[in-house]
Amino acid sequence: MKHVQIIFFLFVGLFCQAQEKFSISGTIKDLNNGETLLGATVYLKDTSFGTITNEYGFFSLTAPKGTYTLVISYVGYGAYSQNLTLDKDQNIDIELNPSSTALDEVVITAEEPEMANIRKPQMSVSKLNAKTIKEMPAVLGEVDVVKSIQLLPGVTNNGEGSAGFHVRGGAADQNLVLLDEAIIYNTSHFFGFFSVFNADAIKNINLYKGDIPAKYGGRVSSVLDVRQKDGNSKAFQLNGGVGLISSRLAAEAPLFNDKGSFLVAGRASYAHLFMPLIEDVKDDKISFYDLNLKTNYTLNQNNRLYLSGYFGRDVFNLSKIIENNYGNATGNLRWNHVFNDKLFSNLSLIYSKYDYQILLDFIELDWTADITNFNLKYDLGYYVNNNLTLDFGISGLTYNVNPGEVKPASETSAINALKLDEKRAFEGAAYASAEHEISNKLTLNYGLRYSVFSRLGGQNMTHYANNQPVVYNSDLAIYERGEAVGETYFSKSKSIKTFAHLEPRLGLSYQLNQTSSVKASYTKSTQYLHLLSNTSSATPLDVWTPSGEYIKPQISNQVALGYYKKIKDNTFALELETYYKHVDNRIDYIDGSSLIGNNNIETEILNGEARAYGLEVLVRKNKGKFTGWLAYTLSKSEQRALGGNAGGPGINNGDWYNTAYDRTHDVSLTGAYTLNDKWRFSTNFVFQTGRPVTYPNGQYTYEGLSVATYSNRNEDRLPAYHRLDISATFTPKKHESKRWKSEWVFGIYNAYNRKNAASISFNQNRETGLNEATRISIFGIIPSVTYNFKF
Amino acid sequence: MTRYSLVILILSILFTSCEDPIDVDVPTAQSRLVIEASLDWEKGTVGNEQTIMLSRSTPYFETQQNTAVTGAMVTVTNSNTGEVFPFTDQNDGTYTTTNFVPLLNHTYHLEVVYNNETYQATETLMSVSNINTITQSTEGGFDDELLELNLYFDDPANVENFYLIKYDVVGDLFPYLEDVSDEFTDGNEIHDFFEKDDDEDGEETPFQAGDVVHVSLYGISEPYYNFMRLLIEQYGSQGDPFSSNAAQLRGNCTNLTNPEHYAFGYFRVTQVAKATYTFQ
Repeated sequence: MKHVQIIFFLFVGLFCQAQEKFSISGTIKDLNNGETLLGATVYLKDTSFGTITNEYGFFSLTAPKGTYTLVISYVGYGAYSQNLTLDKDQNIDIELNPSSTALDEVVITAEEPEMANIRKPQMSVSKLNAKTIKEMPAVLGEVDVVKSIQLLPGVTNNGEGSAGFHVRGGAADQNLVLLDEAIIYNTSHFFGFFSVFNADAIKNINLYKGDIPAKYGGRVSSVLDVRQKDGNSKAFQLNGGVGLISSRLAAEAPLFNDKGSFLVAGRASYAHLFMPLIEDVKDDKISFYDLNLKTNYTLNQNNRLYLSGYFGRDVFNLSKIIENNYGNATGNLRWNHVFNDKLFSNLSLIYSKYDYQILLDFIELDWTADITNFNLKYDLGYYVNNNLTLDFGISGLTYNVNPGEVKPASETSAINALKLDEKRAFEGAAYASAEHEISNKLTLNYGLRYSVFSRLGGQNMTHYANNQPVVYNSDLAIYERGEAVGETYFSKSKSIKTFAHLEPRLGLSYQLNQTSSVKASYTKSTQYLHLLSNTSSATPLDVWTPSGEYIKPQISNQVALGYYKKIKDNTFALELETYYKHVDNRIDYIDGSSLIGNNNIETEILNGEARAYGLEVLVRKNKGKFTGWLAYTLSKSEQRALGGNAGGPGINNGDWYNTAYDRTHDVSLTGAYTLNDKWRFSTNFVFQTGRPVTYPNGQYTYEGLSVATYSNRNEDRLPAYHRLDISATFTPKKHESKRWKSEWVFGIYNAYNRKNAASISFNQNRETGLNEATRISIFGIIPSVTYNFKF
Repeated sequence: MTRYSLVILILSILFTSCEDPIDVDVPTAQSRLVIEASLDWEKGTVGNEQTIMLSRSTPYFETQQNTAVTGAMVTVTNSNTGEVFPFTDQNDGTYTTTNFVPLLNHTYHLEVVYNNETYQATETLMSVSNINTITQSTEGGFDDELLELNLYFDDPANVENFYLIKYDVVGDLFPYLEDVSDEFTDGNEIHDFFEKDDDEDGEETPFQAGDVVHVSLYGISEPYYNFMRLLIEQYGSQGDPFSSNAAQLRGNCTNLTNPEHYAFGYFRVTQVAKATYTFQ
């Protein structure tokens, strides 16, 4: 039925062209540095003809022959307009002038003004540009993308010091995190205290919490699309900052007679340089660094090449006991090709890898694991006419997962070498989607993604008695590993298991009046890759595993409904969204599961399901000396796993239970106030319901020890989390003649020194023999100072 | 593995984190029977004297210790030979026998009748290697300046083996337990070390010359290894963000009369190698 509808709409769109029409296309850039601007609004004044620029700053607009005023607007830039006589197809590149020349002007990204925002069917998306992120007070003065998005409605973390983020009650591994299209498997530095994104290298981020466009696939919860800057194509530029924990430096310059440009950005921590001075930690080392690279070359007006890369690493070393390092590496080669003023294309070859190594010196064990993927994809945008835009493309992705290799760390080690089976898989997809304006008030967005996943051979597959990798022991009421009865070797050319899914994506927007609209969306998505983690927080040592014989792909269905209102000429904006999401085949871990070094993960898990629903409220103040937003989320996130093939009632008696990232209430208040040219202040306040945990409900004596007993999973909660951060930015008076610009950022994290519980542990005191509860709180009040400069 | 606790530790030092004891309201479950039936046959002995302990579970923060269960009927049967060993109620929560006959790889069956409900469990007597040697050193272990004890024993090749190691330090309130499997070390000489921390709050003090440690190396079954692995993990690190989710420990003692009233604890039958070491 859906297919029929889509074809119908396509025909309506293609054949309703009576009048003589012409197209105008081009690229929008920043006047000062030549950066392409994505998401800029391009429209013809006093008409309904308009569009926004794509990821590469490209736009195409079609209108009847006539004379118009072309207007371009983009947050943080002065409005641009020019008169235009449209009597032939034409191509114009336009450069916008930034509205302020300050180092980082105060900009809270309002949605695009006037027509685009309210009319576009796209909903459940949050956009932030680098300037906004840099404005927020951050821990230890370190600007952070992941921490910033956690201030938006529907996005939470899993406690201080945990990696990743959670979107609408989803798990951290259900987020597709892309840096210039390359998958980032671990977004954290310092075990989650910082993210891998260097704000100096970032142009723009989009977070899709639902209503995920058809061009994205492979994760069921959200897409975080982070784009790196292209590099200044006008002049050499140096950006940098000196902070307490780390420092950063970015260089940008034109290349090849202004036909190209590059950006190189580096960041490194240096806490480890001071550690030898502190007695307690003198033998320890903890550090991270990362490097961003981007370069582009314009072959001619219709062809542009981009090369981008990222390399990041965390190293920590505990006085010869444990040595651990981990990090992501990505690369992407892209070719933008404009076929004509209506057809834009991009071909990408993408590589990403995440790996870690852990050396346990005291048992002389050397452990490595990694995941590598290559991705070739071709995306096209066809601007059919003013009412219809098509996006379509194909993608092929290979995965190679090495879940673990153990080696003896020395010749005298008692460890035997062991390599877990490497896992290989291929994921292919084809998609098409249309944004279709049915009338002045109604716009539809409909798309379809078809994905195929094949788990490839090159390994043994274990068979289990009664085909049960996990068996319910009804005597003891526990789940146990199934009995292996044999194995089959699959050669590399064979497929072990293949899945295919159709993923429809639908959205509509109905404009109620000039200032308000309602939107609705439905998204189905499939996730073939799972992160194995039975700890309360994701850790860098967690292992990814592809779907296959025993692990099914996760399938989510999400519906969302929203209301949007602009108040007082867009001084204020209100966004209300409500959603319901259901995820099938969410894997869950049997009590006492052991995942580390396990070649047969299927013996530790059951296929479960998850559901989440909530209400999100966002009120923004977009204009004036004071800007900011208030976000409130009321939500529920639960999961359950029935016994199924394994028998028995299931995990936690088969009852629904709170996920670790369930937050009933989540409030974020972010504000920025510009006092004058020199001083600017900003603040965050965060309040969250405590994280669900399992507390002991009794004790008994065994082997002389007090052993705790536990009730159902995640029935209790940590105390509520709240925190206030403030920061002040001082910009010294500028010397008009000098290029050097600088600013000081003074910050206080956790201003009222709240001892938020990162966890509460229960232990028997070995001295007194009494049981006690201990709260671990990670960040108390932390003052910081950072010096930023630009040359 | 305890490495995540170490991660927390280092992060705690680096950042301004702190640990402080707090009062927490925890839920209270119904009390259950606890069966600590550890029939351990020490190498070189007859193994005829055995004790089984019965008690009750209490609320988590309960401090009164008198939880002894008396008046139960306790018997152990050798399932291979049919021989029955009745245990005598000592009226202090312990039940004893002096004529137990341990036989390697024989299966034993425990039956406890208490309050008209019958509890039972089955376990196989596993053998254990001899302790090769015990040494002391400072340069090994976690800290290069503190004394640690090194235990060495041979793992039989081509067979899965599971061990429980208990270190009893004379003068300490509680033993230290470690679970060991030969997953990565099959057929090799296994080395385990035991080092006490220089703990700031004085809960632990490092080893000194003259300290006496009783070492027990048990050969255990795989189900009991799984039980103890979880027990030890939960005892050591429960609640920190990198520990696995807390889960109810289920031993092997079921309730035939009313399955819901299962017992805590475990019925284990092991061979144990013991040695005592005095630090020089």
